[in-house]
Amino acid sequence: MKPPESDHQLFERLRAGEEQAFVSLYHRRQPSLYRFALQMSGSAPVAEDITQEVFLTLLREECGFDPERGSLIAYLFGIARKLLLRQFERRRAEVGVDAGAEETGLSELADASDTLADLAARERIEALRRAVSSLPRRYREVVVLCDLEEVDYAEAAEALECPIGTVRSRLHRARLLLADKLRDERPGTSAVPAWKAARCLI
Amino acid sequence: MNCEEYWSEFAGPEPGERLNAHLAACSSCAARWAAERPVAAGLRLLAAEMKHVSAPPRLEAKLVRAYRERHGRRAAAVGEVRHWWAAAAAVILVAGVLWTGGRGPSAPPVAAANAAVVAAAGVEEEDTAFLPLPNATGSLQDDDVDLVRVELPRSAVTAVGIPGGDDGEAGSVEAEVLVGPDGMARAVRFLN
Repeated sequence: MKPPESDHQLFERLRAGEEQAFVSLYHRRQPSLYRFALQMSGSAPVAEDITQEVFLTLLREECGFDPERGSLIAYLFGIARKLLLRQFERRRAEVGVDAGAEETGLSELADASDTLADLAARERIEALRRAVSSLPRRYREVVVLCDLEEVDYAEAAEALECPIGTVRSRLHRARLLLADKLRDERPGTSAVPAWKAARCLI
Repeated sequence: MNCEEYWSEFAGPEPGERLNAHLAACSSCAARWAAERPVAAGLRLLAAEMKHVSAPPRLEAKLVRAYRERHGRRAAAVGEVRHWWAAAAAVILVAGVLWTGGRGPSAPPVAAANAAVVAAAGVEEEDTAFLPLPNATGSLQDDDVDLVRVELPRSAVTAVGIPGGDDGEAGSVEAEVLVGPDGMARAVRFLN
């Protein structure tokens, strides 16, 4: 059986005008990029815009991907991240830090899969999802990339433009923060109502 | 191995044998990992639950259109469909709908069919816009449609009054079909 083409091979072909290579790359990489943007922004429309912009970047003449400098997926996540940072800046400038203003995307996801029999487990996962959304940005992005999207640490480091050791240390710190947040969310232990977790936009 | 080395080397999901040796000897790191471990496990569950989430199909349609604008339309092979089974089903559905749409006395003309379906699919009206299929009824949420590329007999297209081009009714045409959550074709766009 023929091995699947690498991202880089697909990239070369799509740049040469082969539409199917573009479609293949889109199918392969769109879901994780979309989920990354969704988890980072908490908004389905924003995630869609970011995903669109990432792939449009690949079509531009001045697309700056250089295989010598890293993998295509790290490059794509890096673009998505920069676009998200710009989005956060814009949002902060427009409305200030507005907790919970765009919860719709993730709330809808939560509602869409209510078929799990174990409601307690369901609630724990939802609590974790809220806790991830409320992490400070630099911790949230490593959790989403490494734990949720299973991007390897080297590629995450490329995308985040930081050393691999920083990725690991942020990941540990993020998990401990999540443990604290989950503890705080337990009924009777928190002054903050469980469904009012604020998203940090920093 | 000291604590710093341990945490810079390990990120999960589970420590290996060498790292476990450090945990066995260091109560501080063992306690820290005990706090982190359930979170790591929960994140794996959350990741599994999120696996089905992806961008709505209309985004692919938009991007493919943008690609064609930049590179010019190139013939795409029939083998390029995302799911063979879906393509086969869509061919049958579209051909069937076009056939009955062309012959049925009460079938509305293609151009006058449910414009809301096309609007709901997030597709702009233009030369290469999606044509709503006759009998495509019911509301259609943006996120529910799937984009499938198919090849249709040219005769099925000309049967409903859409010009078949220089080749008359011979050969085939490529089309992209928006398929609803019920598996029914809702709108079609001819590529050549």
